[in-house]
Amino acid sequence: MADTSLEIAEAAQQDPEAAIKIKSRGVQVYYADNHAIIDVDVDILDKTVTAFIGPSGCGKSTFLRCLNRMNDTIDVARVEGTITLDGEDIYDPAVDPVQLRAKVGMVFQKPNPFPKSIYDNVAYGPKIHGLARNRAELDEIVERALRRGAIWDEVKDRLHAPGTGLSGGQQQRLCIARAIATEPEVLLMDEPCSALDPIATAQVEDLIDELRQNYSVVIVTHSMQQAARVSQKTAFFHLGNLVEYGDTEQIFTNPRDSRTESYITGRIG
Amino acid sequence: MTDTGHIVSAYDRDLDAIQALIMKMGGLVEEAVVNAAKALETRDEELARAVREGDKAIDALEEQINEEAAKVIALRAPMGSDLRAILTVMKISGNLERCGDYAKNLGKRTSVLVQMQPPEGAASAIRRMAREVELMLKDVLDAYLQRDEGLAEEVRQRDHEVDQMYNALFREFLTFMMEDPRNITSCMHLHFIAKNIERMGDHVTSIADQVIYLTTGVMPDESRPKGDRTPYIAR
Repeated sequence: MADTSLEIAEAAQQDPEAAIKIKSRGVQVYYADNHAIIDVDVDILDKTVTAFIGPSGCGKSTFLRCLNRMNDTIDVARVEGTITLDGEDIYDPAVDPVQLRAKVGMVFQKPNPFPKSIYDNVAYGPKIHGLARNRAELDEIVERALRRGAIWDEVKDRLHAPGTGLSGGQQQRLCIARAIATEPEVLLMDEPCSALDPIATAQVEDLIDELRQNYSVVIVTHSMQQAARVSQKTAFFHLGNLVEYGDTEQIFTNPRDSRTESYITGRIG
Repeated sequence: MTDTGHIVSAYDRDLDAIQALIMKMGGLVEEAVVNAAKALETRDEELARAVREGDKAIDALEEQINEEAAKVIALRAPMGSDLRAILTVMKISGNLERCGDYAKNLGKRTSVLVQMQPPEGAASAIRRMAREVELMLKDVLDAYLQRDEGLAEEVRQRDHEVDQMYNALFREFLTFMMEDPRNITSCMHLHFIAKNIERMGDHVTSIADQVIYLTTGVMPDESRPKGDRTPYIAR
């Protein structure tokens, strides 16, 4: 007798589309007359950490912000092409960007906790998305998010103290906890460690590795060491083009494009 | 090391310095191989001793290369071709160090062999074999310096000839020993010498593999002719 679950698992392996979380095709971004992203095709995989690397102004953050429509908030920005999340076009007029951002969370370069208590910082998202029916459920969601954000032990005794009173590294982990409280499917991180000391950086990196079990994580980073440490896939952007996309190990040991080689080895490209 | 330098120019100087050490070490090993074979053929005990003593300098260079390589890893976190350059440097220096040891062993056995009468012609056959290995070593160092994977591949193929020379010597020594048991001591020493030179060929081939990895990013597969048939010789 055939084992159905095994068959399904095999089918999923055979179908390369099955593991693709986000798919972009022919994506162009213009800031007024400036063509910032040129024809980017990329498949972001589920349960994988993908790093975007490249020199300043190469378009990596701009592209990251396309993935949860953060560029909508910039008047002069225009996005063309298609980006799908689980096969659904995220730029479809029927898609509510607020709902989209609950599914595709974001952590920014500078920790930006709300000027509220630690508890309220995390509870805010679940509350507005109606994820908790009562106070007890909300408490549970907040605790789970803070635990997964690897900061619970440090804040459990002062949940009602202001979030802004924490150290930089703690604030960033609070922001990550806030981002994952709404149970997103994808987490976008725009240089999440650039304002942190090495210890806080290590904690956040450890957390990213943990988050990979459940989420698709996309991280923009200026630290190539960090990209090499935390990601399984790496995309190199240069002058608005996606130059090379591949397994992180291959990109850092044997890149195919000479521009990638020049960038990762610290040569003038 | 490539067309454009690093933004941090001291990085280029570090890598160039390590490469210069490899070339220096390679030069010393080449010289040791040539002199060891020459000492054997001309029964020159003085030269054999010089080869034995010269190995210290080769060992010291290996240590220095490994220290410099560790420093680059710690300070510069090499990536891409720089990473491959450092990885290959560490392996190549290890291979060269082994070749130096074999040359030293030739020197030791030569000091014993000068006290006896080895079979006619054996020393010159060994010298031809050593000459071939020395040429392979010279070419592989050139291939390394020029980043020439074609030349490296050619060196890999040539190891077959060394293996065949070794096969022939192996049979020859067996015959000598069967003809006259008084030949056994010298033939055993000569056989180890031939075997050591054959092993040097393998190390040179391994350096050629590293050069191919360095230039292409891919280790060559094992598809090269293997010529050592002696494990199957039973008589």
